[in-house]
Amino acid sequence: MVRKASVEEIINHWILAGSCILLIITGYGFLFKIEQIYALFGSNITMKIVHNWAGVVFTVSLFATLFNYLHEALAYDANDWAWIKMGGGYLSKKHTVAPPMGKFNTGQKFYYLVILLAGIAISASGFSIWLVQDNRSLTLASHLTHNLAFVLFVMAVPVHAYLGTLANPGTLRIMIYGTVPLEFAKKKYPKWMKEIGKM
Amino acid sequence: MTNHWIDIRNADVILVMGSNPASNHPISMKWIMKAQERGGKLIVVDPRFTQTAAKANLYAPMRSGTDIAFLGGMIKYILENNLYFKEYVVKYTNAPFLINADFKGPGDLGGLFSGYDDKARKYDKKTWSFQMDENGVPKKDPTLQDPHCVHQLLKKHYSRYTIDKVSNITGTPKEKLLEVYKLYASTGKPNRVGTELYAMGWTQHTIGTQNIRAMSIIQLLLGNVGMAGGGINALRGESNVQGSTDHGLLFNTLTGYLPTPTGTIADLKSYIETYTPKTKDPKSVNWWSNRGKYITSYLKAIYGHAAQKENDFGYSWLPKLDEGMNASWLMLFDQMLKEKFEGFFAWGQNPACSGANSNKTRSALAKLKWMVNVNLFDNETGSFWRGPGMNPRDIQTEVFLLPAASSVEKEGSISNSGRWAQWRYKAIAPIGQSKPDSAIMNELYFRVKKLYQKEGGKFPAPILNLTWDYGEKGPDGKVKEVNIHSVAKEINGYYLEDVYDKTATPPKLLGKKGDLCATFVQLQSDGTTSCGNWIYSQSYTQKEGKIINMMARRGKNDPTGLGMYPEWSWAWPVNRRIIYNRASVDPQGKPWDSKRAVIKWDPVKEDPVSKKPGTWVGDVPDGPAPPMATEKGKYPFIMLASGVGAIFGPGLVDGPFPEHYEALECPLEENLMSKQRINPTIKLFGEKEDAYFSCNVQYPFVATTYRVSEHWQTGVMTRHEPWQLELQPQMFVEMSEELAKEKGIKNGEKVIVKSGRGQVWAIAVVTNRFKPFKIAGSTVHQVGIPWHFGWQYPEDGSGGDSANLLTPTIGDANTMIPESKAFMVNVVKA
Amino acid sequence: MWLRHRGEIMSAITENRKALLISPELCIGCRGCQTACKNWNQLPGQKTKNYGTMQNPPDLTPSAFNIIRYNEVPSDTNAVRWLFVSRRCMHCGDAGCMKICPAPGAIYRTKDGAVAYDKDKCIGCKLCVAGCPFDVPRYDAQGKISKCHLCFDRIADGLSPACAKTCPTGAIRFGDRDALIDTAKKAGYAKVYGEADLTGLGTLYAFKDAPKIYGMNENPAIPESIIFWNTVLKPLAVIGLGGVVAGALLHYVTIGPHKDADEEVKKHE
Repeated sequence: MVRKASVEEIINHWILAGSCILLIITGYGFLFKIEQIYALFGSNITMKIVHNWAGVVFTVSLFATLFNYLHEALAYDANDWAWIKMGGGYLSKKHTVAPPMGKFNTGQKFYYLVILLAGIAISASGFSIWLVQDNRSLTLASHLTHNLAFVLFVMAVPVHAYLGTLANPGTLRIMIYGTVPLEFAKKKYPKWMKEIGKM
Repeated sequence: MTNHWIDIRNADVILVMGSNPASNHPISMKWIMKAQERGGKLIVVDPRFTQTAAKANLYAPMRSGTDIAFLGGMIKYILENNLYFKEYVVKYTNAPFLINADFKGPGDLGGLFSGYDDKARKYDKKTWSFQMDENGVPKKDPTLQDPHCVHQLLKKHYSRYTIDKVSNITGTPKEKLLEVYKLYASTGKPNRVGTELYAMGWTQHTIGTQNIRAMSIIQLLLGNVGMAGGGINALRGESNVQGSTDHGLLFNTLTGYLPTPTGTIADLKSYIETYTPKTKDPKSVNWWSNRGKYITSYLKAIYGHAAQKENDFGYSWLPKLDEGMNASWLMLFDQMLKEKFEGFFAWGQNPACSGANSNKTRSALAKLKWMVNVNLFDNETGSFWRGPGMNPRDIQTEVFLLPAASSVEKEGSISNSGRWAQWRYKAIAPIGQSKPDSAIMNELYFRVKKLYQKEGGKFPAPILNLTWDYGEKGPDGKVKEVNIHSVAKEINGYYLEDVYDKTATPPKLLGKKGDLCATFVQLQSDGTTSCGNWIYSQSYTQKEGKIINMMARRGKNDPTGLGMYPEWSWAWPVNRRIIYNRASVDPQGKPWDSKRAVIKWDPVKEDPVSKKPGTWVGDVPDGPAPPMATEKGKYPFIMLASGVGAIFGPGLVDGPFPEHYEALECPLEENLMSKQRINPTIKLFGEKEDAYFSCNVQYPFVATTYRVSEHWQTGVMTRHEPWQLELQPQMFVEMSEELAKEKGIKNGEKVIVKSGRGQVWAIAVVTNRFKPFKIAGSTVHQVGIPWHFGWQYPEDGSGGDSANLLTPTIGDANTMIPESKAFMVNVVKA
Repeated sequence: MWLRHRGEIMSAITENRKALLISPELCIGCRGCQTACKNWNQLPGQKTKNYGTMQNPPDLTPSAFNIIRYNEVPSDTNAVRWLFVSRRCMHCGDAGCMKICPAPGAIYRTKDGAVAYDKDKCIGCKLCVAGCPFDVPRYDAQGKISKCHLCFDRIADGLSPACAKTCPTGAIRFGDRDALIDTAKKAGYAKVYGEADLTGLGTLYAFKDAPKIYGMNENPAIPESIIFWNTVLKPLAVIGLGGVVAGALLHYVTIGPHKDADEEVKKHE
């Protein structure tokens, strides 16, 4: 077995995911004024409190991910371009051979950057809505940004959930046990395996 | 007011000059606008485009202090164009009266009237007299042609007020003058009526009383006095100042405008003799001929049983003035500064901010041994010793604060400008230790009385003999709690014995012993009636055994439809809503204006008193006598000895006709009207604190003071009210854009306004509502400041201080009211 | 959800809709209305400065639900024309604040047509600030919406709003909306501001001249960003999610899970 994800990374991921889901559910409640969702949380005020503090948790957790993923997400080479050109192998029923990938493939790296940027946007705009008084245009801009970022998130998260489960059998265990079989790792992450001397 | 608030809606033209009702009497605008709804026109004449001007049909700008020039031009216009109401003028005014041939006016005497003593600064009024016929009745020329008749003298006097000269003095463009004159003079027709609304803008000048006289002349010429929608109407500046002057708070009157006696008038007989006006004309009612009844009844009220015929009804106990003594406000503080007072009660006032020349006033307070400040809050007066520029170490004054209850924490009446005395109720109990004024007076009186009883003193009788049974007494003899209804009843008056009308056969019983008086008509001079204030007799009375507080009535009937509401509260005198209303009908008793009939003679209807046919319907008539043209008929102006309206008014100290003089501090070296620059009879104060500067480069701008809706008087109550302070937080000065540009001042910037007596910071409000005046070819700027602020509150000093730090120590020639409306200042960046 | 909003808008045009008629020509700028409102709603006074005008506070605040604007504009007959214009919530028929508010029951329409609010339900998100064409809603210290609510508690008791009751000249009048429009037209005002705008405003103005002279927007409309929000962003949040989920399902069913090259090799072995 190869350790792919540390225990801290796993815990942080689920904190991030959990707070994100909570934020999305309450977010829909706000956006579409859905009384049933409000009722789930007791009152309007308590739902806002939950959303606010889930946002705090989300923000801290997002910040923690920097230590786990940012370095990798900023490293690209010719293999990444090749990966893009073949659509990562997701666009064909045929069995495909991906170019050698590092610890995370191109798609995953791009996905992280999107989440990071959207996350910063949604977090900053969220705090602005919560805390800024007396700045009408800033408040409006914050709401629009928050909303746009929300649209991005509600699209990105299901994609991530799909790709991390049904679309890629054998990957879900990474976020549960943190380990993958050696052969699996050599196939998926040859560059990284070489780097860490396991290949 | 001769008329009342609601009556304003009956006017065809409303002239607002010397006041700003939209800002300072907002509720009255309701009635002004109702008049406009009916097609009436509002004219505003003011140095500044005010909130009232914003609603006016016609606005004319005018330099502060030039009202007589403006109005003089109007008088000339009315006379020249024959726009006066001829029959009214001939029959109801002294226009046809002939004047002493030696009388001369300012046109002949370089700005003075005949009889001036320039050392004493006084007039000998000998020549200001009427020529009498062999019966002792003034000679008249009903054709108004005799060169000595008032009408011709009036014409001659105002012929000097040409449109060019008036425009040069006032700064009002000629076309605007003519527009105003034309519109206002249109009310000279019998079926058109105009009213005038004035306030401090007219009274607070050295020629203040003459300002009002000028308008009175115009109203008499146009036949507007006594008419619905007419009259001459003062907008009183405080809810109960009418009540306070009615009840004799000023030094020169007792209650009901009875004169305060001087020490040289040794007994009651002399008092009555001196102060009772006489007439030989049988058609003149001369109501003041009843003076004796009122003074005697007053003495019986205040001294009760102790006042008997044998001791002249206690006349010797009445406080008296020294001959020629002037104890007006300005004099008081002048004398206080000269250490003539040990103690001072600042009772419901804030002299440190309200009187002219605040620096002088504040210095004067420092000379006292003690001061009692009776007020809702501490203020600049009570705390004068820690104010700006004061060193508490050097001040020996002991200050006491007696917290007073506000008007909603006690019961009583308030008399409005329209003479309506309306009863008010207690909404909540006084908070903390505050007490109603009556309770404080009660305590003071009792303790002073006890001291006199115990220790004797210089003159105990006036204190010991005062009636003071306005409530249940405790074992120590002190009234436990003042019953304000008892006081109201004392004011109304009682029959002390069974009182009969001895002229009737058999003698008719007017009132039973112990009952409340029905009306002042039944007051007696033989001590059988008491009455605290004759003009309020009937206000708390008894009808068929039932006691009625007339002031508490709230009936909404309005039989004439003119808004008089005769059953709502009670107006003095005897519930007459429009005074001089006998002038609203022709000599036959038919209304000049049938659509707005105030009273009307009905020859058929039975009179409720005489039980004979023929009586007045409508308002309470000015005396029940039948119409003037009938045998027993009377002239309409019953309070004047001659019975007719005074166009020629010899009663004032500074002239029988108003003449334009400049303010003490003015922008001109000379008066453009005559050689006499200022009012020749005003009392000049000569100390260094009283310095004044006229036509001086140090103080080149005309200044005036005014009020705003959001604050009240010196702001003691309203500055403590956060909602009001939010609306108007700071002292400000309004100035024209031209002046601001000249001085490099920006809107909203802090500036200093200074005069020869002091200075104050203010926020600059730069606006086109002030425009520079063209006075005799030069540009004269004017600025305006409110007088609501004081250093004591807000405590951080952010509000500013009083406008009166700038005003001069000078008062009107007749009333001594300070000239706060026209003086000279400079404005500089802070 | 949009249908529900339309319902709230439609219901505003009822026969019993009450309104205020503001007539600046009758206003004398005495500001009894500002004080009466604070009195009734027990709002605190705030510290202000004189900025060179009578107008204070300079604009609406959480504790000033209405203010008088003092406008000096040019005049043909005098040096200046001085207008006193009351500024307050317009109680719009198509209320931008209500439309955009995410919190159920926080902003609602009373049966008289007023746009009122329940601070207990307000979540302090300040979207209503952005949604108002007139920049009316403000926030109190707790972050809750604070604005004129047409004294709905007084109206429920058969009284008129505090400002209308206090106004001495009838510059603020309260009554049936139709009757007020009628009154204004009979008094000679050819057009009544707010008669039709935004499905009819609950605060009408009788203007003698063009609205902009009185400092009012000629064509008030809910801000474009809010329209964009409502018509584009909101649907996208649904379409986006739905589309992606559907897309994923479609992908799984058609293309299926990701297959590496040697799995095929394994198969063939």
